Amino acid sequence: MTGLQVWWADFCADFYSSFIREDRYKLLIDGVGVTIKVSLLAIAIGILIGVLIALCNVSGFKPLKIIGGIYTDIIRGTPSVTQLMFIYFVIFANVHWEKWIIAAIAFGINSGAYVSEIIRAGILSVDHGQTEAGRSLGLNAYQTMSRIVIPQAVKNIFPALCNEFIVLIKETAIVGYVGLMDIQKAGDFIKSATYKPVMPLLGTAVIYYVLIKILTLALRQVEKFLRRSDNR
Amino acid sequence: MIKVKNLHKKFGDLTVLDGIDEHIEQGEVVVIIGPSGSGKSTFLRCLNLLEKATDGEIYVDDERINAPKVNVNRVRQKMGMVFQQFNLFPHLTIMDNITLAPVLLKKMTKEEAVRRGQELLERVNLAEKADAYPAQLSGGQKQRVAIARALAMNPEIMLFDEPTSALDPEMVGEVLDVMKDLARSGMTMVIVTHEMGFAREVASRVLFIDQGKVMESGTPEQVFGNPQNERTKLFLSKVL
Repeated sequence: MTGLQVWWADFCADFYSSFIREDRYKLLIDGVGVTIKVSLLAIAIGILIGVLIALCNVSGFKPLKIIGGIYTDIIRGTPSVTQLMFIYFVIFANVHWEKWIIAAIAFGINSGAYVSEIIRAGILSVDHGQTEAGRSLGLNAYQTMSRIVIPQAVKNIFPALCNEFIVLIKETAIVGYVGLMDIQKAGDFIKSATYKPVMPLLGTAVIYYVLIKILTLALRQVEKFLRRSDNR
Repeated sequence: MIKVKNLHKKFGDLTVLDGIDEHIEQGEVVVIIGPSGSGKSTFLRCLNLLEKATDGEIYVDDERINAPKVNVNRVRQKMGMVFQQFNLFPHLTIMDNITLAPVLLKKMTKEEAVRRGQELLERVNLAEKADAYPAQLSGGQKQRVAIARALAMNPEIMLFDEPTSALDPEMVGEVLDVMKDLARSGMTMVIVTHEMGFAREVASRVLFIDQGKVMESGTPEQVFGNPQNERTKLFLSKVL
């Protein structure tokens, strides 16, 4: 047998033992489900918190600003693994919700701090003349914000927000720390069963890559739609 | 229609308006001229409360508008404002720019607003641009849309803050034409501008503002032809 044939035979055997034997591929498929569930809920929570904190920060009201500032400061200053474990093992220690929900809350709280900064920058990026034009027509502050400033801010922040979502999805690869079997953990599990790291790690990487590629392409379509008013 | 009594405006220690008293009657076209930094734009912005007067009283239709508890939004609906930088809403089509406020403020139904919008666009010669976005228009076209947008609220008064200063020279004429047309229709207008020819032709009254005070006020013939104040003479000698 030539070297190539040997390599190929090894590759196939490795592939078989990593993914096919004992239906191990199912672990990865279940892992994809966990990753997606946690990510989607976390993104939703992150946007909600992000908007609230951003509004706190742009509001003129001092106490709200201070709360927003402290929150952002703590979240940005500590590792997300630490936050996840703290929320799971300390804050939710006696709350018996499903693991993935608690994990999603942790990631949402983390993401909210970054989202709030993105949104704040987006609101400030809209020219003040827009606000003046809205107010001069007789719109109140809320109408001006919601109909004129926010729609333009959304367009400006969309790429940064997409980037944050992608970072968040990859960040969820640490949920194994609180005992959830996501894609990464499933890969680890297979590796420790077969003692062969290459296949499970490659498989994990490919799955994340494909997920994120799909998301990126979808978001690009959304962005194109948002930018339709820029066409000259 | 507009009465201003002893209007003062300070930004920190800087006094921008230093006691302005002025009556603007219905149907008047008042053109405000003066050197940059003289306070003419600030005066205009005080009239629709984009700037808060430091001291003094402003009345519109005998209602004091710079008092606490006045509904600022209702007051502003009586006054259309046109800005130097147009400030069209870039995320909305031209028609939506025009109909947003009347519909949102429940002055018109969507259908009425669109009909009115079409009328106004015809009036400013942009009927075919209803579905375009602001980025697709030239500066002159944008400013004409901005005028139509302000008119859509059926204001009693139109305020113009250097409407042609950000335009390329060849586009100034088309905007001034729309404003002349508006003046002839009897609209009460207050215009801050550097277009002296336009002021001379259209103004029923010219105000010369310098150092936060009205230095001279009169018909265009008086102010341009026979200025009394030394500062007016100096200013006109530089710009005419």
